[in-house]
Amino acid sequence: MKLGLVIDLDTCVGCHACAVACKQWNTSGTTGPLTDYDPYGREPSGVWFNRIRNFEVDEYPNSKTINTPMSCMHCDDAACVTVCPTGASYKREEDGIVLVDQSKCMGCNLCAWACPYGARELDEDQGVMKKCTLCVDRIYDENLPKDERQPVCVLTCPTHARFFGDFDDPDSQVSSLVRERGGYAMMPELGYKPVNKYLPPRQRPASPMMEKREGGEKESLIGKWMKRQKDAFNSLGKGTH
Amino acid sequence: MSVLPEFENHAEQTVKMTTCYMCACRCGIKVTMEGNEIRFIQGNPRHPVNKGVLCAKGNAGIMKQKSPAKLTQPLVRKAGTERGAGEFEPISWDKALDLLTERLRKIRSTDPKRLAFFTGRDQMQALTGFWASQFGTINWAAHGGFCSVNMAAGGLYMTGQSFWEFGDPDWDHAKYFMLWGVAEDHASNPIKIGLEKLKRRGAKFVAINPVRTGYQAIADEWIGIRPGTDGLLALSFAHVLLKHEQFDWDFLVRYTNSTQLVIDAPDTSRNGLLLRNESGELQVWDQASDSPASWTDSSHDNDIQAALFGEYLTDEGVRVKTVMTLLAEKYLSDEYAPENVAAITGVDADTIERLALEMAHVAFRETITIDTPWTDWTGRRHDKFVGRPVAMHAMRGISAHSNGFQSCRSIHLLQVLLGAVDCPGSHLAKPPFPKHIAPPIKPAWAMAPDTPLSSPPLGFPMAPEDLVIDHDGVPLRIDKAYSWEAPLANHGMMHMVITNAVKGDPYPIDTLILFMANMSWNSSMNTAEIQEMLRMKDEHGGYKLPFIVTSDAFHSEMVNYSDLVLPDTTYLERFDTISMLDRPISEPHAACDAIRQPVLEPDRDVRPWQEVLVDIGARLGFPALTRPDGEPKFKDYKDFIINWEKAPGIGFLAGWRGENGEQSMVGAPNQDQWQAYQDNDCFFEQHLPAGQRYYRFANKDYLEWASQVGFNAHSGPIVMELYSEVLQKFRLAGQGLYDGPKPVRQEDKQRLVQYFDPLPDWYVPLEEQRVDNEQYHFHAVNQRPMFMYHSWDSQNAWLRQIMAQNYLYMNRARGKGMGIKDLDWVWVESHHGRIRCQAKLMEGCNPDTVWTWNAIGKQSGTWGLSEDAPESQKGFLMNHLISELLPAQEGEHSLSNSDPVTGQAAWYDLKVNVYPAAPGETGLYPTFATVKRLPDMPPSPEVLHYHTHTPVNLERSMQDALSRGHLAGGDEP
Amino acid sequence: MHPALSVIFFTVTAGAGYGVLFLLGLARLTRLTPEASPDQVTAMALVGLLLVTVGLLSSTLHLANPRNAWRSFTRFKTSWLSREAVFAVLFYPVCLIWLLFEWFTGNTVATNVSGVLTSMLAIVVLVCTAMIYASLKTIRQWHTALTPFNFVLLGLLLGALILNLMLAQQGLTSDALEVVSLVLLLLAGMVKIIYFYWIGQPAGPTINTALGFTRATVRLLDVGHSSDTFHTKEFGYQVERIRLIWLRAISVGLAFVIPLLIVTGLFGPVNLPTMLLAVGSAYAGVLVERWLFFAEARHVVNLYHGAQRT
Ligand SMILES: Nc1nc2c(c(=O)[nH]1)N[C@H]1C(S)=C(S)[C@@H](COP(=O)(O)OP(=O)(O)OC[C@H]3O[C@@H](n4cnc5c(=O)[nH]c(N)nc54)[C@H](O)[C@@H]3O)O[C@H]1N2
Ligand SMILES: Nc1nc2c(c(=O)[nH]1)N[C@H]1C(S)=C(S)[C@@H](COP(=O)(O)OP(=O)(O)OC[C@H]3O[C@@H](n4cnc5c(=O)[nH]c(N)nc54)[C@H](O)[C@@H]3O)O[C@H]1N2
Ligand code: SF4
Ligand code: SF4
Ligand code: SF4
Ligand code: SF4
Ligand code: SF4
Ligand SMILES: [Mo]
Repeated sequence: MKLGLVIDLDTCVGCHACAVACKQWNTSGTTGPLTDYDPYGREPSGVWFNRIRNFEVDEYPNSKTINTPMSCMHCDDAACVTVCPTGASYKREEDGIVLVDQSKCMGCNLCAWACPYGARELDEDQGVMKKCTLCVDRIYDENLPKDERQPVCVLTCPTHARFFGDFDDPDSQVSSLVRERGGYAMMPELGYKPVNKYLPPRQRPASPMMEKREGGEKESLIGKWMKRQKDAFNSLGKGTH
Repeated sequence: MSVLPEFENHAEQTVKMTTCYMCACRCGIKVTMEGNEIRFIQGNPRHPVNKGVLCAKGNAGIMKQKSPAKLTQPLVRKAGTERGAGEFEPISWDKALDLLTERLRKIRSTDPKRLAFFTGRDQMQALTGFWASQFGTINWAAHGGFCSVNMAAGGLYMTGQSFWEFGDPDWDHAKYFMLWGVAEDHASNPIKIGLEKLKRRGAKFVAINPVRTGYQAIADEWIGIRPGTDGLLALSFAHVLLKHEQFDWDFLVRYTNSTQLVIDAPDTSRNGLLLRNESGELQVWDQASDSPASWTDSSHDNDIQAALFGEYLTDEGVRVKTVMTLLAEKYLSDEYAPENVAAITGVDADTIERLALEMAHVAFRETITIDTPWTDWTGRRHDKFVGRPVAMHAMRGISAHSNGFQSCRSIHLLQVLLGAVDCPGSHLAKPPFPKHIAPPIKPAWAMAPDTPLSSPPLGFPMAPEDLVIDHDGVPLRIDKAYSWEAPLANHGMMHMVITNAVKGDPYPIDTLILFMANMSWNSSMNTAEIQEMLRMKDEHGGYKLPFIVTSDAFHSEMVNYSDLVLPDTTYLERFDTISMLDRPISEPHAACDAIRQPVLEPDRDVRPWQEVLVDIGARLGFPALTRPDGEPKFKDYKDFIINWEKAPGIGFLAGWRGENGEQSMVGAPNQDQWQAYQDNDCFFEQHLPAGQRYYRFANKDYLEWASQVGFNAHSGPIVMELYSEVLQKFRLAGQGLYDGPKPVRQEDKQRLVQYFDPLPDWYVPLEEQRVDNEQYHFHAVNQRPMFMYHSWDSQNAWLRQIMAQNYLYMNRARGKGMGIKDLDWVWVESHHGRIRCQAKLMEGCNPDTVWTWNAIGKQSGTWGLSEDAPESQKGFLMNHLISELLPAQEGEHSLSNSDPVTGQAAWYDLKVNVYPAAPGETGLYPTFATVKRLPDMPPSPEVLHYHTHTPVNLERSMQDALSRGHLAGGDEP
Repeated sequence: MHPALSVIFFTVTAGAGYGVLFLLGLARLTRLTPEASPDQVTAMALVGLLLVTVGLLSSTLHLANPRNAWRSFTRFKTSWLSREAVFAVLFYPVCLIWLLFEWFTGNTVATNVSGVLTSMLAIVVLVCTAMIYASLKTIRQWHTALTPFNFVLLGLLLGALILNLMLAQQGLTSDALEVVSLVLLLLAGMVKIIYFYWIGQPAGPTINTALGFTRATVRLLDVGHSSDTFHTKEFGYQVERIRLIWLRAISVGLAFVIPLLIVTGLFGPVNLPTMLLAVGSAYAGVLVERWLFFAEARHVVNLYHGAQRT
């Protein structure tokens, strides 16, 4: 199994729901808490597993705004794992989820240095590295209703821009989306083989237009319409004029 | 697969459903509790509004509950200290309510209008409005006037349904969607759910907005319009449609007043009114008899052939034209031709023409049908619903301008021309809408001591007679709603209350109660001066606004300016109703309402405001709340909700009525009603039968049902008024020709003549008409961030990490040309004042527009934030630049900065000048004194480790750590 | 990259120590210090070991959770940091064995064998340390063969200069060592200058590839947080261009030019005070160099925070 996410840039409106949902779930989840520093002060910050950024492609007036949620890509070739000296970072054999065993981490940050996607954040207060768990504590929790055994970011996304599934299964929704919509990886040239894929904005063909009917000036147009309604009326055979 | 540990003990968790109130969208939520702590808040998949999804705010509910800014006890301003100085003393609830009741009793028994009760982001207007009526003051309104009454009024006076939260695009069928001036709207989650549906189906999404963020980011086409010109763009679309003969002839004839006859009798009191026969029936021109006939008869009788176009002379010698003729004459004129509109709107002529013809193509060539038989109001059977799948939605980008009412009508006009109203694929009404034009409720004006009002404070004037003014034309309401200055101010004019009350214009008041409104900060225009007004004293040393009571749940800026603070519960701590008598949470095809139930116990000395209202009402002896012996009629709020009936069988909640809960919509009170709601995830949903889902303005079965359940007063058709006789009556009054009340002030006359065009019209927004546009070149507007709700969410430790400071955004090339770089400090100056803030450049911004996120700026010391929080040190409000009054003109009374028709606050008319601050000139301007902390307020924590149980770590076995040579899954070469 | 002082101090100081030990380990075989007695060699080696130890200890300072530091031996198979840890620890017994031989037996086969082993291990540790950085594809300025060369050469250079100094202090001289120092100075300086040139060449991911929009300009509109985060603090470190140029000049001047002048005698006679100056200058220069190594490194994640390229 190769579990991961597909994120649809065609529908993501950048609302941050997935990011906050992630924070909410995971702060009481397996790698919680997700510490917040200076929460009511000058520099509020904290540990997040998923962050949303907005970019602009091209220039006014042709610019297009792109919202990019980014969390761990659960890379196939995850250097964050290979560099980890303690074995705290690992990629699960059974499903490819990349995790940090909180009890083993020494907080050296090397994995974060190795990650191109900014997916790992040190919990400075606890001294351990944290990251997206792919909601491993939900997707396998058999006490949750079946349709809730999904990452919360996927469940909460109001534009359904997020999909979770098994990329090893060619028939899964994620696989077919990637196939059909040209799903791509971010920064592929680094060779991490990210499992998570992004669907590019859809390109709509130009819409058909009603053909023009050059009807002339307003007086003549209204005159034409008056005539038309009269003709229509006459054609009913009821016209007396 | 390896065996996973049990991550959490579900047996120790409890799950409760309730309704979110992190914003007014009112999604269904499922809250998982561990003890008295919230483990998780998620969307309820069954809920009609959000269908399981949840927005960023909703997901941050835990941090609202944990907010250090929560009020903990009733407070009274310390005797001898100044208002606004922030010196408060705790007071017990008993004493607080005694004190308040005494004061209110005096007011009520002498001059009830001296109590003004205004509510902001209130979602229980049915309750607060009821309370004000029972008290007997007309000085009540909710946020609508400063929010989006233009959308409500624009729609309700024209099509009987409207944008805002009163309708939805048909996300399942629309093939073309045009979004006008919307950043987020109240339907936060539904719009997002809908946009994805559209895109999945391949519909085209066109966004008209000066700024390309949020929803506009995913639009297929972005039209970066110049603010305030949408009405003109819409009318130019109409021009193109007419010019190329693209309009739905049958739709117009059947469902609108386009065949009705407008009297052409210049300089008479009949001019511009609709022709009626002796019995008052509206007339059309029958081609068969070549004479007027009743519109109603023409609809029923195939032998009457109503003319859509034409100019006629009646036997009595009255010259008449059909509405459609007037309409075509108006919009076909060159004024609306794309090439003449392009320069004003900033949208090029080809694009205007193309978009109009694209819509026409979808409406008329890509027509859809739903094969469900239905019957129209005349009894005619139809075997299917025909859909013109062009949908539109519009909000504050349209409404928050002083031409918003007419602009909104212009958009509706487009929909009507395309036949795209409440049909499959178009904009659909949500029950209880559509309503007759306009709903038959007139605003109350008469008051008497100790007497409830005989009608609600707010209603729908249909003629100058319905204005709430005295014989001399002086406004009777403190906000001057329904006066000549704003005749159709259907939601009141909350933004004027403080200014008017302090000036004593039209009269001074005694007590102002504010509920859920941050009026000393982000919901007032001209904030700095409003704060001064709140401190202003008369010659006797008393406050000009003598007593201010605030119901708030948090330490807001308004709390600081209150004399009595009544702390409310949070949304997770109370029972509440989201009533169909109020703002609907219905879906287009289902009538819905909902409740809230407490999921945790308050840990402070707070009370739900709804309980407090019912309690005070009983103490004051409101007839609806007390028995003849003076004892309270109802035990508490819940009891009241169950048993109070607006009309027989109709109460706040529509579900599970009848003694045994077997009736819906109408039925006797059911003592187990709350439980029934709780058992059904806290909502009620009644689906409409398939044959009643579209064309409801003319759908016989729907109309009959709607009148049975009390939505509408009768089951007659709702005839769309492209031509508004109501407006014409006011215009006649302005011209001095009306047979009835007429204004005396010159400015009122002029405004009625100029802006009350009975056909949708466009004019330059009022501030823009009055300021030097060379100097104040830029338009300045706001947007809602999707993850913050007005002022509420800066206290939220998670949400403020996303944004704790706002910037002034502007077009990159434009800013660069002015020598402005990212993060530079700039001055922004309006006719009213100036602010200094930091700029950011971006591509997706109309070059003549600057904008910022709304309500991020805070007053230092409030909301549980540290004094140096970025919200108060760098975040700013545009409100300081916006005057509540229009720039004065010679010989004129002061006029509010509002739409002249509806009184809607014209937030987005703002024109500004932007220039770089001088070197060394940095930092926010203006700044405000730091607000004192409240007594007993605990210090805000310096670090948070929120979690509800010890985390169960997923251990990697040592063996695995030692043995795995390389990565699993990684197919290393 | 945020220049973590503990890491800078560690890599420079331990590097110098390994340099000393590498040269000493080979000294007998290569006749680098023909006149030194076993006592003197041992004493000088102990200084090297001290440098190594101080450096290593300081490296643990940047661990957020040093309690788990012992676990860093477990992932030898993949992690250069783990390898560094393992070899750094392994180094001690080997080095001690060598020193025992040296001290007790002087120039014997056992000494030479264990000396060579020590030298090799010293290089291995230096390479491991360098590979921690060089293996990171995320940081173009590090991900280059120049990095291990640079680390090794600078370690050896400092080692050589320190050794020179210690010899001078004991009244010994070594022409061979002077030649070695000279060669190292020239080589290390050259590698560094090539490095500076190389990192100036645009290459690597851009915001376009980072996001997958390659046909037009891409600019950050909003980063989604108002305060610094772990990432902006760790990776967002930025120094003004002009300061960087100055610092480069200073580091080259201190690390290479001044020691070169001293070692070649252009500065005056090569004696204890001038050698002290040479070591001080080079050490300071390499500290600045190492600081620059971090400060000039641009992590690709910066692309997502507004950088156009790294
Ligand atoms: N997350 C969140 N949701 C909210 C709220 C909130 O505070 N936060 N507030 C709620 C409330 S009270 C309201 S009233 C609604 C308002 O919801 P919206 O109507 O979405 O209100 P605004 O954010 O004011 O968005 C106005 C949009 O119109 C654009 N605009 C401004 N002027 C013009 C113009 O002249 N023409 C056009 N075409 N566009 C223009 C702006 O760029 C902006 O995108 O949102 C509600 N929902
Ligand atoms: N410049 C500018 N100004 C604007 C706008 C704009 O676009 N630009 N938008 C305008 C619009 S559309 C609106 S609707 C207004 C909104 O203005 P307001 O209605 O004033 O909205 P809030 O700022 O959210 O303030 C509501 C108050 O309710 C309190 N509150 C929150 N929860 C509860 C609760 O459960 N119980 C009680 N009793 N109180 C609670 C909050 O603490 C806060 O003090 O702002 C307007 N102001
Ligand atoms: S919740 Fe969905 S739409 Fe919102 S930011 Fe995340 S992916 Fe985008
Ligand atoms: S995204 Fe980063 S943290 Fe996640 S697997 Fe890839 S490299 Fe590792
Ligand atoms: S920070 Fe923790 S998880 Fe990351 S590399 Fe170091 S030990 Fe491994
Ligand atoms: S999968 Fe779970 S942990 Fe990962 S980003 Fe989504 S919500 Fe967060
Ligand atoms: S849109 Fe968000 S905040 Fe508003 S009610 Fe729904 S979940 Fe709550
Ligand atoms: Mo609003």
